[in-house]
Amino acid sequence: MANSESLDNVVLELRRGVIVLAVLSQLNGEQYGYSLLKLLSDQGLEVDQGTLYPLLRRLETQGLLESVWKLEEARPRRYYVISTDGKKLLPKLKKEWADIVSVMKKMLA
Amino acid sequence: MKLIDRYVNEVGKRLLVLQGREDIEKELRSTLEDMLEERAEKEGRPADEAMEIELLKEYGSPDAVATTYNPHPYLIGPRVFPLFLKILKIVLLSTAFGMTVVMIIKLVTQTPMMGSDFTEVLGDGLGNILSTVIAASGYVVLIFAIIERTVPDLGLKEEDFKTEDWDPAALAKEPDPDSVNRGELVAEIVFTFIGLAIINEIFYIPVFTDEFRKFVPWINAAFVTEILLDIYLLRKAVWDTGTRIVKIAMEAGTIVIAGIMLYTPNVITFSSKIFENVPEDSSVDIEVVTRFFDVGVSIAFIVVIVVASFELVKAAIGLIRSFTRK
Repeated sequence: MANSESLDNVVLELRRGVIVLAVLSQLNGEQYGYSLLKLLSDQGLEVDQGTLYPLLRRLETQGLLESVWKLEEARPRRYYVISTDGKKLLPKLKKEWADIVSVMKKMLA
Repeated sequence: MKLIDRYVNEVGKRLLVLQGREDIEKELRSTLEDMLEERAEKEGRPADEAMEIELLKEYGSPDAVATTYNPHPYLIGPRVFPLFLKILKIVLLSTAFGMTVVMIIKLVTQTPMMGSDFTEVLGDGLGNILSTVIAASGYVVLIFAIIERTVPDLGLKEEDFKTEDWDPAALAKEPDPDSVNRGELVAEIVFTFIGLAIINEIFYIPVFTDEFRKFVPWINAAFVTEILLDIYLLRKAVWDTGTRIVKIAMEAGTIVIAGIMLYTPNVITFSSKIFENVPEDSSVDIEVVTRFFDVGVSIAFIVVIVVASFELVKAAIGLIRSFTRK
């Protein structure tokens, strides 16, 4: 039991940073929370709602995302899109990710 | 849709955020409605209450959902925790030390070295030390909990704690003469708070006379101004003309109060109550002890005046420099 718990914890930690990168990479176009969740899920990255929605707000507070309310199909939706700061940060994050992957590939080979 | 509305309300009640509550509720509602609609489409029938229940059950309890949004799962977060520990240690040591000194003074002056009086004073004293230390810890926790919630993010920077991952960009910038020392401010808030508790006799130290109590409202005013100014500075992070003028006025007030108290006789006494139980044949010379404390009290006031003058001059120089820079 303890083993599967610590496995879960490690996996959670591993995913946490990746999700930020995934979110920033997918927000070149406007998405609302639920549509982003599905967009990520369609590409194979399952993210919990309880993780994604607060994360979007946090990234907005940090200035990496911008958001705007739009009325659509009689329902208001909050659309998020990457900000100028976010656009500056993204290539750096991508490079970090590529470095990590190449190092870990060698290490785990 | 009724259930979703109630659910969103329940989540809203549990949100601890100061701003953006309505926004979160609105976003949550629109998400849930989207999900319900999608579910109805998938199942090929219109959404009903059973479907709503199923959806909400999957989404999680309002407590769990609110927790994901709540920015402060900590009473005192990792950001201020190192400073909290540092200040807690100082406060605990200094209050324990102070109360021990008070107890020893009582033991020496009030009781014969053994006997029932002695054990009683010792017991009371130890009890007093314990309760004071606990109360002081409570104040420190309270102050830090407030700072945790009122000082904006990125406020207390790592360089205040001298950890490894500070921002090298800070080196490239010229040191800003207007920037405040946050560690100093927090320490000042804590000690002023404890000072307030002492002079208002929440921590009971039996040395204050009615003469002293006449000054208490003035000292309270100075202390409260100090705390408010410090909290404001913590939030603003820089000194400006307004805060410097308030600081100068407050320090000037402190100097005046301390000066008047210095020349008021019997502001603090170690004689009346404390010495009434000294046995006739005691080897303690009351005259000498009283004189000793009188000098000590005068020195304390002089120290206060010197420190306040220093702070005043510092603020004044800052003010003048800020004008000459422009």
